[in-house]
Amino acid sequence: MRSSPYSALSARGARATVVLALAAGLTTTAPAALADTAAPAARTAPAVRTAAVEQGLAAKPYMGWSSWSMQSSKYPGLNPDGDYSWLTEANVLKQTDALAAKLKKYGYEHVNIDAGWWRDKAWTPEFDRYARQKPDPVRFPRGMKAVADHIHAKGLKAGIYLPVGLEKEAYADGKAPIWNADGCTTADIVYDDLRTTNGWDSAYKIDFSDPCAQKYIDSQARLFADWGYDFLKLDGVGPGSFKSGENYDNVADVAAWHQAIARAGRPIHLEISWSLDIGHAADWKKYSNGWRIDTDVECYCNTLVSWESSVDDRWDDAPAWTRHAGPGGWNDLDALDVGNGEMDGLTKAERQSYATLWAIAKSPLYTGDDLTRLDPYGLSLLTNREVIAVDQGAGPPARPVTASDPQQVWAAKNPDGTYTVALFNLADAPAAVTADWATLGFTGKAAVRDLWNHENLGTHQNRITEALPAHGSRLFTVTPHGKQLHFTGYEAESAANTLTGSASVADCSACSGGKKVGNLYTGGKLTFADVVVPKAGTYQVRITYVSGDPRPALVSAGGGAGARHAFAATGDWGTPATVSVPVTLKAGRNTVTVDSGDGYAPDIDRIDVPASS
Amino acid sequence: MTTRSPEPSRRTLLSLAATAGTAAALAGLPAFTATAAPRRPTGPPRATDARHVLWWQAPADAHSMIEQGLPVGNGRLGALASNDPGRELLLVTDATMWTGGLNDTLEADGQFPYGRDDFGSFTLLARLTVDLADHDLGAVSGYRRTLDLARGVATASYTRSGITYRREIFASRPDDVIVLHFTQSGGGHYTGTVTLEGTHGEDAAVSFGGSFPGGLRYGAAVTAYGTGGPVSVHGTRVDFSHCADLTVVVAGGTNYAPDAAAGYRDPSLDPVSLARTKVRRAAAHPADTLLRTHVADHRALYDRFGLDLGQSTDEQRVLDTWERVNLRHRSGDPDPELEAAYLGFGRYLMISGSRGSLPMGLQGLWLDGNDPDWMGDYHTDINLQMNYWMADRTGLEPCFDALTDYCLAQLPSWTDLTRRLFNDPRNRYRNSTGENAGWTVAISTNPHGGGGWWWHPAGNAWLCNTLFEHYEYTLSRSHLERIHPLLKGACEFWQARLLTTTLPGTSKEVLIADSDWSPEHGPLDAKGITYAQELVWALFGNYATACAELDKDTGHGETVAALRERLHLPGVSPTTGWLEEWMSPDNLGETTHRHLSPLVGLFPGDRIRPDGSTPKDVVEGATALLTARGMESFGWANAWRALCWARLKNADNAYQAIVNNLRPSSGGGNGTAFNLFDIYEVDKGRGIFQIDANFGTPAAISEMLLYSRPGHLELLPALPDAWAASGAVTGLAARGGFVVDLRWKDGKPASARIRSVAGRTTIVAFGGDARTVRLKPGESVTLKGFTR
Repeated sequence: MRSSPYSALSARGARATVVLALAAGLTTTAPAALADTAAPAARTAPAVRTAAVEQGLAAKPYMGWSSWSMQSSKYPGLNPDGDYSWLTEANVLKQTDALAAKLKKYGYEHVNIDAGWWRDKAWTPEFDRYARQKPDPVRFPRGMKAVADHIHAKGLKAGIYLPVGLEKEAYADGKAPIWNADGCTTADIVYDDLRTTNGWDSAYKIDFSDPCAQKYIDSQARLFADWGYDFLKLDGVGPGSFKSGENYDNVADVAAWHQAIARAGRPIHLEISWSLDIGHAADWKKYSNGWRIDTDVECYCNTLVSWESSVDDRWDDAPAWTRHAGPGGWNDLDALDVGNGEMDGLTKAERQSYATLWAIAKSPLYTGDDLTRLDPYGLSLLTNREVIAVDQGAGPPARPVTASDPQQVWAAKNPDGTYTVALFNLADAPAAVTADWATLGFTGKAAVRDLWNHENLGTHQNRITEALPAHGSRLFTVTPHGKQLHFTGYEAESAANTLTGSASVADCSACSGGKKVGNLYTGGKLTFADVVVPKAGTYQVRITYVSGDPRPALVSAGGGAGARHAFAATGDWGTPATVSVPVTLKAGRNTVTVDSGDGYAPDIDRIDVPASS
Repeated sequence: MTTRSPEPSRRTLLSLAATAGTAAALAGLPAFTATAAPRRPTGPPRATDARHVLWWQAPADAHSMIEQGLPVGNGRLGALASNDPGRELLLVTDATMWTGGLNDTLEADGQFPYGRDDFGSFTLLARLTVDLADHDLGAVSGYRRTLDLARGVATASYTRSGITYRREIFASRPDDVIVLHFTQSGGGHYTGTVTLEGTHGEDAAVSFGGSFPGGLRYGAAVTAYGTGGPVSVHGTRVDFSHCADLTVVVAGGTNYAPDAAAGYRDPSLDPVSLARTKVRRAAAHPADTLLRTHVADHRALYDRFGLDLGQSTDEQRVLDTWERVNLRHRSGDPDPELEAAYLGFGRYLMISGSRGSLPMGLQGLWLDGNDPDWMGDYHTDINLQMNYWMADRTGLEPCFDALTDYCLAQLPSWTDLTRRLFNDPRNRYRNSTGENAGWTVAISTNPHGGGGWWWHPAGNAWLCNTLFEHYEYTLSRSHLERIHPLLKGACEFWQARLLTTTLPGTSKEVLIADSDWSPEHGPLDAKGITYAQELVWALFGNYATACAELDKDTGHGETVAALRERLHLPGVSPTTGWLEEWMSPDNLGETTHRHLSPLVGLFPGDRIRPDGSTPKDVVEGATALLTARGMESFGWANAWRALCWARLKNADNAYQAIVNNLRPSSGGGNGTAFNLFDIYEVDKGRGIFQIDANFGTPAAISEMLLYSRPGHLELLPALPDAWAASGAVTGLAARGGFVVDLRWKDGKPASARIRSVAGRTTIVAFGGDARTVRLKPGESVTLKGFTR
């Protein structure tokens, strides 16, 4: 459902009190740039996640189709009877048949009905006498079960949708009884002051201190189970959905849904939406099978999506979430609308990049395209088995191994020792993009396979460079045949370093040495002294940093002008991440400086300099 | 200014299959003309040293052509090439492809209109695309692209499913066509289409023509041929299928004629017909023959000059050109081979953009759209002059002729406009004497005899001084004879314009220029601006020399020489310590203004010399003003700063200004683009191409290695540490009619071979070590053992 424009961002709270501490500088153990295990998130997943996996829910990112992209578009002819009017039984069944015919054999199995199935074409909602959403008889004349039955008959899974909370129109003066809950009415399940909740303030916040509230959720879950649905998207959930604060904290709603689904006796995948607060990642992992990390991918314009609104946001927003994805719950990047270039509103290069990021991030792969009108290129993107295998296989989600600059490289180390490596050119003009093996932690030769083109590109020494179109990408499997690269570490808090301006040492329990250097703003800078390399050259220096929001920094060595690099948010001010940036060093001693320039730079934990350039 | 693009008033659409017209023999040397059969070289062309090959690992696309397109040109006909594997795009230009006309109705303020319809604009001729099925950039690997400066060829190569594909693109002057040659190795083939389109509303066709309201007619044609598969015209395009190789040939031009009496048009020339004839004739030869013919022609100029500024590191050498530009900035370490290649690229652009047609304006021969900023015109208050400073210095004096030809062809019209319009009572720059003679120009000029924007009284002097400098390099008497009427008319203009005044607080009577604007800031009505005083002082001296050399108008020459003695020359402000820009001690403009107009006597003039011959306070005042202007400007302004610092023998500042131009441009910022074009950030985030820095910066490099004036050469006047270890330059021209081959080591000349092209006597100095050389034309001498 539509995300309303909303500009306020969660501001970074007061910075930790500065602790001036002097710590030993030189260490030799580099933080692993890429986790050696297949799914780092799985290691920390709570037990309930294991239960989800055992039920077969979200063991892998789900694949399928969703109705919202076409509902939300002003593409000519899609919604002739008003906004969102595309959603009808006839249209859904047509897509179901097309999905079964064209995409099912590649793993696409979900047919997800999005917002509006209980609303008429004027968007007025309808409810049964128990305050539960009731199918609109014009859109779904045979009700929702008939639709699910058709979907199941095609060997597919059926998905449905709800907004979080008690919709205002369902309140019925507080008099509507709750199904299968003697004595409970809608008045019992909300707060007396009828405080509102969700991303649109379209519902009253549910008060789960009253047992009637859980009963209401149970009654909705019962309905979906009886209709035969396999998937529920719960939308407008906060903190997130561009809302924060107590009234918009829907963790209890999600927990109630988790419980209600278990009670209903039918496995139902619970996906929550949208732009969820990463600070509550543990809650989302505990109670759901997937979470939308970002705003809607749809542009609400004359196409389904557009590059700037808002496909391209994901490259900046996904990295902080990477560590939270794993079996049982995945980072949902939203619909994958790459199937028809003209309807999608994207270039071929953009469509490939879109599919590449979704696959390497191990996002659910659900298209919002008109499956009856896939073009040949779109079909090739959606049905590339090597790319699908990246999304569905045992490897962990990829993350950036370079700075988040216009030309960037993402990678993941797979259980078999290979690497999934994606090159991206997010600039508006063609550019060469290089994946340097040093950013993966090894040096020497490696075999490269091009997944999109199903082609082996031979052996490449130390790096591969390819020309990418504007907004373009390449996706490779890299099999190393070289040697592990050794690094020399330099702690930011080392007494040997020079802190300029506002820069200061601060505690950071997750950082190596327990400290970092922060307060790098408006001229504040950190200069590492005595960075020693044997030979002159450009080194892929690993920078381990901490940043609650995306920030740039100027990285230079010696007297050079250096280069400005963008650092993706790490999720909060206590979580470090590591990326490599090229730094040109002279043989012998060098200084390396991280400078905030005229803005705000990330906090720095340490740098690690490889043994060879 | 208006931005409306002119519509063609008439269209001619012809198919290539139709009978070709006969190319008429043409009077007045029009720019696009029938040419004799070229001489074909024998033997294979030489390979190019890697230092003369720029290379990249990404193509351009339709939206990035000005920063990423590779320029080719035959001196008149040019293109920017995208080199995209799946869609080769060429934006084709002709130097004479201009909208507008004479533009002789002044606006209410007595100045010239400056729109694309009246004054006109340089504009695109055609767009050529070659679409190749299954060669999408996303599907190929190992993409590499080169620009071979020595051979004058752009290439692209890549691998697709194990097959290596390669293309070469060049613009041949002997065959007067642009050629695209597609080859492969490994059993591959090409299937696709060639499409030629106009950019002014014409329908796509394998040949097309049109005309502008100003009367200029234009046309272009394409053909293609290959082996192994069919190549045929289908409607508006050429289709080819399963060709083992493919050659595409494009020609085009206009009926522009450099003849004021004919209204700058040749009515007998049919550009479409001529274009079709040219592609048909070229297509009779294999691509390899066309290539060898072109390379021989291009190399004949390119090889006249060589430059070695020292060795780059292996790490620098392994990088592509754009990576090197970025590393140069990021590390701060000099990259001598890259810096030398930047000069080589300027020479490549000069050879490609300035031969046998109109000279190069603000963007040279290259455009990415129909409506370039400032019309891509001739700006006479620095930009046009700067374009040609390097031509003589770096062995490309034949390329200079386009500027001379242009000024001569415009002179009748400029004279007529001056006579009719300059003393318009609304013109704030009119002669208050009421007299009017000779000619001058506007700040902008077009090829139709017209001016644009504001009058520019001293522009005539600067053009003349630029043309005279070419004489000083070559001592070509025929050139001096050609430009004599230009100098004479300019002097006559100033004789009518100069005012007599008494300097305040003295009884000294001096001659000063009437009300004017010092480009491009401060008051619009200042009398005796330094810019005009210096330029006229130099003009009068040059004219007197010309009259004496030619034994022509000698009485007039002496009169002008006498006036020169009475010209006021600027003093130093007691307030600012700067050389005065206006006859005022006050700073009436912007301190860090981009123009160095009051320093025009330091460079390109050389009245102000740091060798003791100029009063010390004047040199110090000029230095203080240059210092105040700062080092952080852009493109041509940095180049001019570098040249001035070179004249002041300040190697560090001269080098820094050059390095500032080598900064990589990103997001439209000032600096060097991916393709090495210089980018000027005209609005925040919007960068435009201005070619002057691509020529002015090389001029500065040469000026740091050699200062010259007739009778005096100084070796390595401003050699920076970055280049000091060792280096060499060959073919470096010196005023006074000499060419210098110089090798240096540890900052000192190791040997200097002085060759006379026409000069006889000169001092050759290094620091205090000055020697006198006497030679006959054609003779040379090698000097060694210089000590400072």
